[in-house]
Amino acid sequence: MSEMAMRDIRSARAMTVSAADVAALKAQFPDAFGNMRQKLVTGTLWGVAIGYFLWSLWFFEFWKLFFFNERAARMFSEFFFWGPMGEWDYAGIYQGLAETIAMAFLGTLLGSVAALLIAFAAARNTMPRSLIRHTVRRFLDLLRGIDSLIWALVFVRAVGLGPLAGVLSIFVSDTGTLSKLYSEAIENVDRKQVEGVRATGASPIKTIRFAYLPQITPVFISLSLYSFESSVRSATILGIVGAGGIGKVLVDRFRAGFFDQVAFVVINILICVFVIDWLSGKVRAHFIGEKAH
Amino acid sequence: MAATQIATAGFVIEPGQDAVTVFEKHRAELMASRRLMNLGMAALFLVLLAISVYVSRFYPERLWNGAPRIFEYFGTVMPNLEIDKLFEARGANGKAVPGSILYWYSDFGKYMTLLFETVLMAITATMLGAGVAFLLSFPAARNLAPAHWINVLARRTTEVFRGVPEIIIALVLVFAVGIGPLAGVLAIAIHTAGALGKLFSEVNENASTRPVEGMRSVGGTWFDEMRFGIVPQVLPNFVSYTLLRFEINVRASSIVGFVGAGGIGQELNHTISFYNDDRVMAVLILVVLLVTVIDLVSERARTRLIGRENLI
Amino acid sequence: MLEITGLTKAFGPNKAVDNISLSIPQGQMVGVIGRSGAGKSTMLRMINRLAEPTAGNITFGGRDVTNLKGRALLAWRAECAMVFQQFNLVGRMAVINNVLMGRIFHHSFPTAMLQLFTAEERALAIRALDRLGMAHTALQRAETLSGGQMQRVAIARALVQQPKIMLADEPIASLDPLNAKVVMDALRTINREDGITVLANLHTLDTARTYCDRIVGLMAGRVVFDGTPDQLTDRQAREIYGAEAEDAFSEGVTSTSLRVRQITETALEPAE
Repeated sequence: MSEMAMRDIRSARAMTVSAADVAALKAQFPDAFGNMRQKLVTGTLWGVAIGYFLWSLWFFEFWKLFFFNERAARMFSEFFFWGPMGEWDYAGIYQGLAETIAMAFLGTLLGSVAALLIAFAAARNTMPRSLIRHTVRRFLDLLRGIDSLIWALVFVRAVGLGPLAGVLSIFVSDTGTLSKLYSEAIENVDRKQVEGVRATGASPIKTIRFAYLPQITPVFISLSLYSFESSVRSATILGIVGAGGIGKVLVDRFRAGFFDQVAFVVINILICVFVIDWLSGKVRAHFIGEKAH
Repeated sequence: MAATQIATAGFVIEPGQDAVTVFEKHRAELMASRRLMNLGMAALFLVLLAISVYVSRFYPERLWNGAPRIFEYFGTVMPNLEIDKLFEARGANGKAVPGSILYWYSDFGKYMTLLFETVLMAITATMLGAGVAFLLSFPAARNLAPAHWINVLARRTTEVFRGVPEIIIALVLVFAVGIGPLAGVLAIAIHTAGALGKLFSEVNENASTRPVEGMRSVGGTWFDEMRFGIVPQVLPNFVSYTLLRFEINVRASSIVGFVGAGGIGQELNHTISFYNDDRVMAVLILVVLLVTVIDLVSERARTRLIGRENLI
Repeated sequence: MLEITGLTKAFGPNKAVDNISLSIPQGQMVGVIGRSGAGKSTMLRMINRLAEPTAGNITFGGRDVTNLKGRALLAWRAECAMVFQQFNLVGRMAVINNVLMGRIFHHSFPTAMLQLFTAEERALAIRALDRLGMAHTALQRAETLSGGQMQRVAIARALVQQPKIMLADEPIASLDPLNAKVVMDALRTINREDGITVLANLHTLDTARTYCDRIVGLMAGRVVFDGTPDQLTDRQAREIYGAEAEDAFSEGVTSTSLRVRQITETALEPAE
């Protein structure tokens, strides 16, 4: 190999190339000078993507963004310059926020319990009967496919206005999402551990308890926490259709033109979301850090 | 000569001591402290649970009373299809016959147009959002940003974009640019920029910085360092996350119409609010089908992409 | 001519590099030896400003390098090539593209981002790869190569920069003896034929002795030896590596050469 290294070192000493050299090297190593076909394919794909994007901007009447609009200007300025804050309905605002978080908490809690039970019926390794498994999966698709806002509308019609409808809609949509994620976690379980436990003569329930649960618990906690964070966000808007929470407060103020209060509420929502994200990070670190040995 | 000691899981057995007794004692201590911590957390959890139940008035009797009404509602939204009239074509007067599928879906054309618009909204919003997220994700990565203040600015921006719920952004934008899909696209794009921006920046932070140093040593600018040092490593992950986001955005596009921001949401809001109960099912079925199809296509694309490389 | 004067790098109270002064004429091949943590890597990185000096001065060809900023700094880095212990290549990019990265400084933003290199640059890259015996791998992804091959690609990248000086930070530390020899041979040939100054951090004494015109020994951030390989006595080597007088210190222990040692007769005597 060192002969190979020495071979051409003597011949090509100067690190400059003449036109003749270029031609000669091109003949010897044609592919190194740019693969036309690949460039064409990549170029076409990018062209199609950018072309679609520009067309869609036209389709959605993108220029409307730049029309100066007096009321839009007023709204934006009121976002930043607030009127007297003394008479704002703080009780309503904070009640709404509390309702939102409570709805998300309960909904996610019930959802994760239900999802845990359903997940075992949706995973390949715990439900080998494919008919049941596929039925369960299609059902879960149904739950997931319908956004929680739509469920909220439905539940408001069914159980009336208020946060109960909100809890139920978060419960239903979280069950759908979490079941799928949990079942994937169950499918990714280390088979060796399962075999080890089963080999001691454990029944299916005991196998689940000692072989599956220890492995999926960290994932379970992590996913539930993410789901909670996300549910808080979606819970904030359920109020728009009357299902409790801060949504109604927000929309009422918006429709009445109190944009400064809207900004205030949004900032509060942001703070809540950030605090919950941070807390959930801490909880995650505590439980999963401990379990990782 | 030092006495032989066995250090096991944080405790030490001196020679002459009975291993079992020492272990049992240590275990009891560990269990006691852990029990205290777990008890504390459990108590906190129960308190939060109680507050939640109180605040949301999630009382069993309300649930009990409401349950039959849920089923009642599902009964009313079921379409009035009659078996013998299912496939009837239009009658002599040009109108569809009640009880047939044609009658049930007489607004099928309108639904399809709206669904088409919904999907386009999701595609455009995902493209726009992912593009912005891509650009933000490099300054937002703690170890890659050219200066600390740039890093802070990028991170705060993604956090704000991500924190505000889409519908609220949509509400504001409808007021600003008018009713229609533009507001929806922009709202979803902004939220996507935040969500993907955070995910992308985390991927960036975990990438190897060796090629970055290599690019620095040949005289590359910060842009060269990112483009050649990081992008080749992270691009497959980025594409995967973007496809996942697209699935979510299709759902989002289908509901921003509730506040007038385009897509099929508006129609859904109409049918549910105006008690056109049989049409509700019609629209809902289409929405669920759409979401399921997109999920399948996206999943297929994602698994195939794990192999492909030549995107750059 | 590379002039280093009073170069110092301090991390709080600790001085990784302490007041180093060296004068390296163009075309010399210098091996820097010393223990881990003696400051070799830090010193080398300050030359192309991957690390910032706390005090002191570096000039190359009369130009002050220590205070360069912006485009001028990038120009200097393009002129001063570096080879790393971990190669620092872009794994998912093809070998030829990795080598072409050596030319990135000369491109504007759009041509750089889109990797629009001229035919001349590509020819230069192929020529460099061929010199290192790696032209046949030009279209492979860099991560599919072995360690020794990757280092040769890295050297090709350095060559394409058309540098006047090449810095090598432990170039063979991650390689097996065969590949180490190939890489060091390549560095020496480049030094001899192209007249490029080579400054290499080495952790094996016999490599330094075999390949370098001049050896600089560092200890605790200071130069404790500066001379030809012949002038480096065993005692001085021990001092640099901190071996006590009675410790069995053999240069051969750190050797990367392939020569098989003679087995002494006593070892072969069968037990009675």
